[in-house]
Amino acid sequence: MTKHSAAQYGFSQEHRAYVARLIRKKRLVTLSRWALLVALISLWEIFARVGMIDPFIGSSPVRVAQTVFRLYSGGELFTHIGITLYETVLGFFLGTAAGTLIAIGLWWSPTLCDILDPYLVVLNALPKIALGPILIVWFGAGITSIVVMALLISLVVTIMTVLAGFNEITGEKQLLMKTLGASKLQIFTIVVFPASLPTIMNALKISVGMSWVGVIVGEYLVSKAGLGYLIVYGGQVFKLDLVMASIAVLCVLAALMYYAVAYTEKRLVRWRSHIG
Amino acid sequence: MNGNNDLIVEFDGVSLNYHDAQGETAAISNLSFSVKKGEFVSIVGPSGCGKTSVLSLVAGITKPSGGRLSLNCGRPGYMLQQDHLLDWRTVEGNVLLGLEVQRSINNETRAYALGLLVRYGLGEFSARYPGQLSGGMRQKVALIRTLATKPELLLLDEPFSALDFQTRLRLGDEIHSILKEEGKTVILVTHDISEAVSMGDRVLVFSSRPTRIKAEHIIDIDEQKPIQRRNAESFKYYFNAIWRELDHDET
Repeated sequence: MTKHSAAQYGFSQEHRAYVARLIRKKRLVTLSRWALLVALISLWEIFARVGMIDPFIGSSPVRVAQTVFRLYSGGELFTHIGITLYETVLGFFLGTAAGTLIAIGLWWSPTLCDILDPYLVVLNALPKIALGPILIVWFGAGITSIVVMALLISLVVTIMTVLAGFNEITGEKQLLMKTLGASKLQIFTIVVFPASLPTIMNALKISVGMSWVGVIVGEYLVSKAGLGYLIVYGGQVFKLDLVMASIAVLCVLAALMYYAVAYTEKRLVRWRSHIG
Repeated sequence: MNGNNDLIVEFDGVSLNYHDAQGETAAISNLSFSVKKGEFVSIVGPSGCGKTSVLSLVAGITKPSGGRLSLNCGRPGYMLQQDHLLDWRTVEGNVLLGLEVQRSINNETRAYALGLLVRYGLGEFSARYPGQLSGGMRQKVALIRTLATKPELLLLDEPFSALDFQTRLRLGDEIHSILKEEGKTVILVTHDISEAVSMGDRVLVFSSRPTRIKAEHIIDIDEQKPIQRRNAESFKYYFNAIWRELDHDET
């Protein structure tokens, strides 16, 4: 921003042209993004109106909007959103917290890490969705199973990403800390953990998406409410309007949650902006 | 052994072996030398000759496999090839790192550390982050971080090798005068003969593994500053002598 206004003062013609190009390009990108969205929605609506898309199968933007509004005025919308959001946020926090704690344990004891390595590899490769039936038997056909599914799906990814971050930093800075006489705990709290914050935040960004997968799949399997439930139910009774409307709401929620994490990252990892 | 209080470091028949699954490597065998208080000793040797192992032994990071190593001072300050500044801490936060680790941070030690920053021209940068400093300044911050805990003995492990030539000369001069001013005992490890001769009171020439001392030169040059020393007549003599000793070793 300061760059743009500074361009009005005293910079060379070449630099002004460069800045102007930058601004033009940025505008073009923003404009194109909106244009693409508008075009897609309009085309969808037009095709539905002229009958190229059967609204019964393909729905249409207006019908989606009407469905969302109907859910809203019936008071159901926020109940479903609330339940799904609750499951996702809980699964996300539990998964990343547990994942980070386990990563700390594995960092602390390389022997333990060595022993557990093949187990982690298998758990990582295993599609967690396969555990669905077991979870339902163990935790019941309700919210608990869904939260555990979301937790499991983000857990292993968090462990592996965070542990790799810890080990990388340790390799770099361990010698320095040893020359200063630091204990293992000090190496962790003073260097390894703060240095790994960017990695942990990256793991969180991945986990957010993972948690949504876990929750929606969980709701497919067991739920009586939530956006995943609405999608499955809509599919079963052939109400594609309901399916599309739920997916649209889901898109907005998932994006918002991702940006919330990205914003937290920006706040937490301020020092990054000092490099360069 | 001889109970000489003047000696700050004494290696007496020290040996060090490295182990891995393939076998055992003798890095150092039967190494004996000593360093007097206030002395600046340079160690030169071919790469991989165990120079750094000598510093790890002095710092207590590795334990000798045999022999006796006595240290007549507190924890030595250790300056590494890379500055390893913590990017998320300010210059001040980095300089205080050693005090923090050793839990000896108080108003007095903090004032001493920050005083060093001011005295050596980095006072105005104390609130900056390492990413905003040049390579030479970063290495100077690393030195002050090392000095902040008031070590009597400093171990320098090729601290200038990551810098460009110009900066290396200037910073070498500056750090040399800082260390002399603070009255520190120094062991400098380097593969750069000019650096060893221009900074050291004494140069030890190491052989390739297993390390032994091949030659020892007491540097007797009238000039004190490293940059001036490089132009001295006798500098060439030391340089050539050490060059031949090292060269012979490579073949």
